[in-house]
Amino acid sequence: MMNNYDTDDTFLGRWISGELSDEERIAFEKTEAFKQFNSINTESQLIEGPSIDTEAALIKVKAKNQTKHRNTKVIRLWYSRAAAILLLVSSIVFLNSSKTHTTGIGEKQLVTLTDGSTVHLNSNSSISLKRFFWQNNRKIELKGEAFFKVTNGSGFNVHTSKGIVSVLGTQFNIHDRLDFRLQCYEGKVRFTQSDIVESPYILTQGKSISIMADKIEEKTFKGNQPLWKNEVSSFENQPLSLVLEALSNHFPIQFDATSVDVNRLYTGSFKHDNLETALKATLIPMGITYEKDTNNTNIIILSE
Amino acid sequence: MAEKEPSICDERNYNQLFRKYYEPATKYLYYKCGDLQQAEDIVQNVFIKLWRLCATVSFYKAKSYIYTACNNLFLNDVAHKKVVLKHQESVSGKTNYESPEFLMEIDEFRTKLTQTISNLPVKEREVFLLSRVEKKTYKEIAEITGLTIKAIERRMSKALQLLRNALGKEIKI
Repeated sequence: MMNNYDTDDTFLGRWISGELSDEERIAFEKTEAFKQFNSINTESQLIEGPSIDTEAALIKVKAKNQTKHRNTKVIRLWYSRAAAILLLVSSIVFLNSSKTHTTGIGEKQLVTLTDGSTVHLNSNSSISLKRFFWQNNRKIELKGEAFFKVTNGSGFNVHTSKGIVSVLGTQFNIHDRLDFRLQCYEGKVRFTQSDIVESPYILTQGKSISIMADKIEEKTFKGNQPLWKNEVSSFENQPLSLVLEALSNHFPIQFDATSVDVNRLYTGSFKHDNLETALKATLIPMGITYEKDTNNTNIIILSE
Repeated sequence: MAEKEPSICDERNYNQLFRKYYEPATKYLYYKCGDLQQAEDIVQNVFIKLWRLCATVSFYKAKSYIYTACNNLFLNDVAHKKVVLKHQESVSGKTNYESPEFLMEIDEFRTKLTQTISNLPVKEREVFLLSRVEKKTYKEIAEITGLTIKAIERRMSKALQLLRNALGKEIKI
């Protein structure tokens, strides 16, 4: 005979919970197995569960709760402040950031500015200006040499190491290296020296200013654009040091001029396309011989 | 008019919940995994989380929240160990007439019984222990485990069958 507890998979479960009908229960209690189930049930109820210290756990959890609450508050406040400051600083930095155009040795570059003005950068030179709102205050910092064509508008200032060049719709060339040269090709330029704010120089077309060893000199010149724009550098009674500087701006070379007098004056020109020709054009007329350093071919040793 | 619901963010109410549910929840997880340390850690984490979310959990639904959270956290910890069970030391009144040999046998039987229960499959073990050791009704077990009463009856039956199959010979009547 099949027993209920074998065929009905909830029978024993219902027996435990007292859900059996009287009929089912009485029949079950008569079976041999009932006694076994009954002692299993009785004895199981005498088993103890693990002992648990609730109060100790509560203290432990409380300690964690407090630190958690405090920490998260502090961190959140700190994070949001830091984020706000960072955002503010970075946006200021970003809006004030400047843009720099640089040319390497032997390179030339034409830069068109947002107001339509153009800047021809000669080799080994750079200009930098504000990335945003530049047109509100047209200010440029120049290192090296550049030719400017400025469109109309109020205020256009070029900051150089020797002073500020201010213009209004004009073309001019600034050469700011060992010596300083400002040539006005069209319109008017005002030059204010760094340390002398009063009595600025006003240059009109064909006028130039040069500063060499703190001596300022006004000259006139001919031509409607600087020669370097045609790949030529020209000199008129200028010291050899300037010639050597110009050469090393256009070609990747350096000079060892310890045994020559660099103050001797040179008149002439060289082209920017070939180093050998340029060296011949400048040094041979001065009676200077030259040779490449055996260790470093970028160094040229001069001797008379 | 409905009475205002107590807030779990009030420490007194939180403590009340802790004292009421910490022990049963820990025991429940212990019966599942057999590792008391792990069980306590899980339940403590549940209560820490409850404190953080005190404003969003309803006081009256806290019990169900606690057990559901226990079950969810437990799923991540897969390692199962055997439960270590002990018999009560106190001898109940009805054993007075038992002979010394019977006492010895019953001692042996109890040891075997606890061992066999420990070796039950986890599903049957947790239901059996909640019912017989913790004296929970099937309805309460259903709340704790999320099972239906029918399923609990089935697991209970299976547990008893397994125990009898393993221990039947030991029982001398």
